[in-house]
Amino acid sequence: MRDRPDAASLLEQARHTLLQEVLDLLPADRRYPALMVANALAIAAREIEQGPDAEVAENAALSALFDAEGDVTALERRSAEEIREGGHDGAATVHGLLRDSVTRRLRISNPKALADDADT
Amino acid sequence: MTVALAEARLAEIKAPLESFLAEAAGAGHVEILEARPLTGGAIQENWLLEVDFLGGPEQGKRELVLRTDSPSGVAVSLSRAQEFALLRAAREAGVTVPEPLWLCAEESLLGRPFYLMRKAGGTAAGHLIVKDDGRSPVSSPADKEALAERLGAELARIHSITPPRDDLAFLEQPEPDAARGAVAKYRAYLDALTVPQPVLEWGLRWCELHAPPSGELVLVHQDFRTGNYMVDGQGLTAILDWEFCAWGDPMSDIGWFCAKCWRFGLDEREAGGLAARAAFYRGYEVTSGRSVDPQAVAYWEVMAHIRWAVIALQQGARFLSGAEASLELALTGRIRPVELEQEILALTAPDAWGAA
Repeated sequence: MRDRPDAASLLEQARHTLLQEVLDLLPADRRYPALMVANALAIAAREIEQGPDAEVAENAALSALFDAEGDVTALERRSAEEIREGGHDGAATVHGLLRDSVTRRLRISNPKALADDADT
Repeated sequence: MTVALAEARLAEIKAPLESFLAEAAGAGHVEILEARPLTGGAIQENWLLEVDFLGGPEQGKRELVLRTDSPSGVAVSLSRAQEFALLRAAREAGVTVPEPLWLCAEESLLGRPFYLMRKAGGTAAGHLIVKDDGRSPVSSPADKEALAERLGAELARIHSITPPRDDLAFLEQPEPDAARGAVAKYRAYLDALTVPQPVLEWGLRWCELHAPPSGELVLVHQDFRTGNYMVDGQGLTAILDWEFCAWGDPMSDIGWFCAKCWRFGLDEREAGGLAARAAFYRGYEVTSGRSVDPQAVAYWEVMAHIRWAVIALQQGARFLSGAEASLELALTGRIRPVELEQEILALTAPDAWGAA
């Protein structure tokens, strides 16, 4: 699709318009739903922008860990099963991989939570 | 809108509800002056009723709360009749609860069982209660410390209820090993959700290997935290949300209360965003005569984050399945688990596996 502005820009502008031009006109009990809408738009925009790279990084990390190819879900299922069965107890490599994965997902779903804990 | 439908429904049954109230309260005549929906949990429906009793011990105008299952109720928690029995048992044990008044177990009146309790004053909004300004009814740190100590004492009274109890016979038989029982339960929940969750599996495996010996068996509330009690200018007015009660390990409730995910951003106030743990523990220990085991509590805090993540995933699944088109459920399922996973990994770093 070449038509501009692209989806992420539209979502970002929609959020901006909601917050700047609509929010203050809403009755008090509708503020919370409106803020949820704004949050959903922000997450969707970040997923469009960062999602493909995050998926590539996730796949690369899991493929390296297992020395295997496959889609992310299949590799995640394998890691989940092996962790449950005790194949990675306390393993620093797996813990680091999981932390990186959580960081990538938080960057999309809630970057504020990430900032609080960035250097711990 | 669902609210308007529910209002119409309540208007329809005004007369039979008045008859029920008159008989239950031993009043000659009862009039419902006002009924409005209260924001409640995702599963229950709560109504504030202003009722005028003519005759009988309730004589005069009273504010009551009617609690019933919402039409889209999910059968994961206790029934209203069971909750009513728990409120009675808690009140008898000296816990500050909204006074339970009358139960209508019959379904003919509202279509579902319901009960009435006296309205408790104040607010339950955790994000306001933890603030140090006029938006909080306990605005000073000293008031918050007193509240934390009081809550410790309240939890101790809940834990004074022990099995066997004929009136609470509906509570599930407990797992012989509370911690490993929880691990098995959350694994089963994850399996039912189908999407692999490597981080939660990591946390659960840590919990499996580091499980503390089970403590005494007591009534555990299982959702005792900031956000689930009410406070006004005078202090605590009610402990709420009894639908997850079970027989279990007392340290699990203490871990749930202190877990970072229930501090509403005031992370340094480890007792529910209110105060230091010492105040909460002091209230608990003095009233219960039982020592708080910090290591067991630390364990149950890891489990608390896992449990909340699993619940958030289940709420998201209600959206994903099409069962409930709610943006709140969608966002909870999307955002909460990953936030909690960050904390789970921080608590279970490789150096925390040594003591296995």
